[in-house]
Amino acid sequence: MVTRLDRLLVRGAGRFPGAVVAVTFCFLYLPVVVVGYLSLSPGAQPTIPLDGFSLRWYGEVFADRRFVRSMLTSLGLGVFAAVFGTTLGLAAAYTLVRSRLRASVRGAIGAVIALPLFVPTVVVAFGIGITANRLGIGFGLLPVALGHLFWVLPFSTFLIAARYGELDPAFSEAARDLGADRVAVFRTVTLPLLLPALVASALFCFALSFNEFLITFFLSGSGTTTVPLEIFGKVRVGATSFLNAASVIVLIIGALAAGTASAIREPT
Amino acid sequence: MRTSERRGGVRDALIASGPVTIAVLLGILPVAILLVESVAPGPSIDNYVTATTPLYRTSLIYSLGMGVAATVTCLVVAYPVTYWLAHRCPASIRLPALIALTLPLWLNYVVLNYTWVWILARGGILNRLLVATGAVSEPLGLLFSDLSVFIGFIYIYLPYVVLTLYVSMERLDGRLIEAARDLGATNRRVVVDVVLPRTFPGAVAGAIVVYARIAGAYTTPEILGGPGDVMIATLVVEAFEQFSALGLAAALSMVFLLIVVVGFVLGAQLPPVRRELKRW
Repeated sequence: MVTRLDRLLVRGAGRFPGAVVAVTFCFLYLPVVVVGYLSLSPGAQPTIPLDGFSLRWYGEVFADRRFVRSMLTSLGLGVFAAVFGTTLGLAAAYTLVRSRLRASVRGAIGAVIALPLFVPTVVVAFGIGITANRLGIGFGLLPVALGHLFWVLPFSTFLIAARYGELDPAFSEAARDLGADRVAVFRTVTLPLLLPALVASALFCFALSFNEFLITFFLSGSGTTTVPLEIFGKVRVGATSFLNAASVIVLIIGALAAGTASAIREPT
Repeated sequence: MRTSERRGGVRDALIASGPVTIAVLLGILPVAILLVESVAPGPSIDNYVTATTPLYRTSLIYSLGMGVAATVTCLVVAYPVTYWLAHRCPASIRLPALIALTLPLWLNYVVLNYTWVWILARGGILNRLLVATGAVSEPLGLLFSDLSVFIGFIYIYLPYVVLTLYVSMERLDGRLIEAARDLGATNRRVVVDVVLPRTFPGAVAGAIVVYARIAGAYTTPEILGGPGDVMIATLVVEAFEQFSALGLAAALSMVFLLIVVVGFVLGAQLPPVRRELKRW
């Protein structure tokens, strides 16, 4: 094995990297394809290979009131996180890139916002759960919504800040010289230039919130349930055709949001 | 001018206050409250003493070990993948290929973990294939093992490492590789002397992003793991669900957080990473 690897390295990597890419593709997408295929099972428990094709379980998913309610909750939370996560991210990006606060203060703000990226999620989520309990904030939809804002904030901040940093300050200076006040400059110059980043941020925030599990788990209490919680609960009971169809729907929603965002972020 | 500048400073502070409030209330404060909880009632270090008894130590070591193993594996796979993407891939398909390789980042990880149940179960696709081809005589118990948890981690976290490593790999000037080749370097020398040092910061960034997430994961071991080895997150969630031994769970979280932070600080001391950090 070692000598073969050596020979590979000495003689030239040749097709090796390409082959790894091909295997990685299969590794990433075959399981998804398998579940997509099994979701078409006519029976509650799919047989391998399937003994027929049916969309029955997709109908069952949309007829399941618990699932539909959790879907509406998740979509609502996603839109909330998209709108307010991006707004807060814009404020944070402005603070990091353009504000007149001292560099050390800006650095500290950046570090605090980046915290969920570095601190293990279970620690933060557990801490948030304990805090909600100890401070008497309680559990439910509002704490979950705030938790999602916290979770998406670093992503929206750094995505928008990257674009903000690329903007030529000469544009806003020119507008200022021509007599526009700060608000007008921001509205007519900065905002349109940032728009692709803002839309991408909103879509990514939506996807992050829609998929978030652990913080929701610690904050939801007994009344609120989201799609990831609902699916997790069902997975523990066992794999079924219902779950396969629900999985495909969830994957499609995430892929649509992120795929659109990627297309916007790279305009070339 | 001076008053307008001061007014600008107040406005900037107001703008900053929104995101900072969220980040402090849900990030800093909860960790501080965990710290208080871990030494209460008291202050006493009883919870920390319990947290380091063999029962919990095993779980801590298993979590950290799984984190190291899965992170290293992700890096080993991500190197050839990002090398191909940045230096071999035709320019026209580079972006679609990058998007396709990182799309799973935005898919639900509960669902992604679940898909492997259908691959690895006794009646799953893989066992069907193995039995049908005669490779094994009876289905293997692949699911609910260390192996299935490990595969689940690679599956979820490989796209993160690909994304972070790609940033470094893209910055690596292809002409450096050409120059080294022209000067007679073997491929091994190219990898060791050119590719690895130049992409090291990306590898460290990728490791930092995924390591703590893997070690602190809850859903993957819950969905794909067996009853044997318990990871830290499971202990923490159980304590919270039963609302008992919270202080112990808090102490465990703190020990875990400390190990992760020390790891980051040590990683940041490495010379190539330090150089990279200075550029920021």
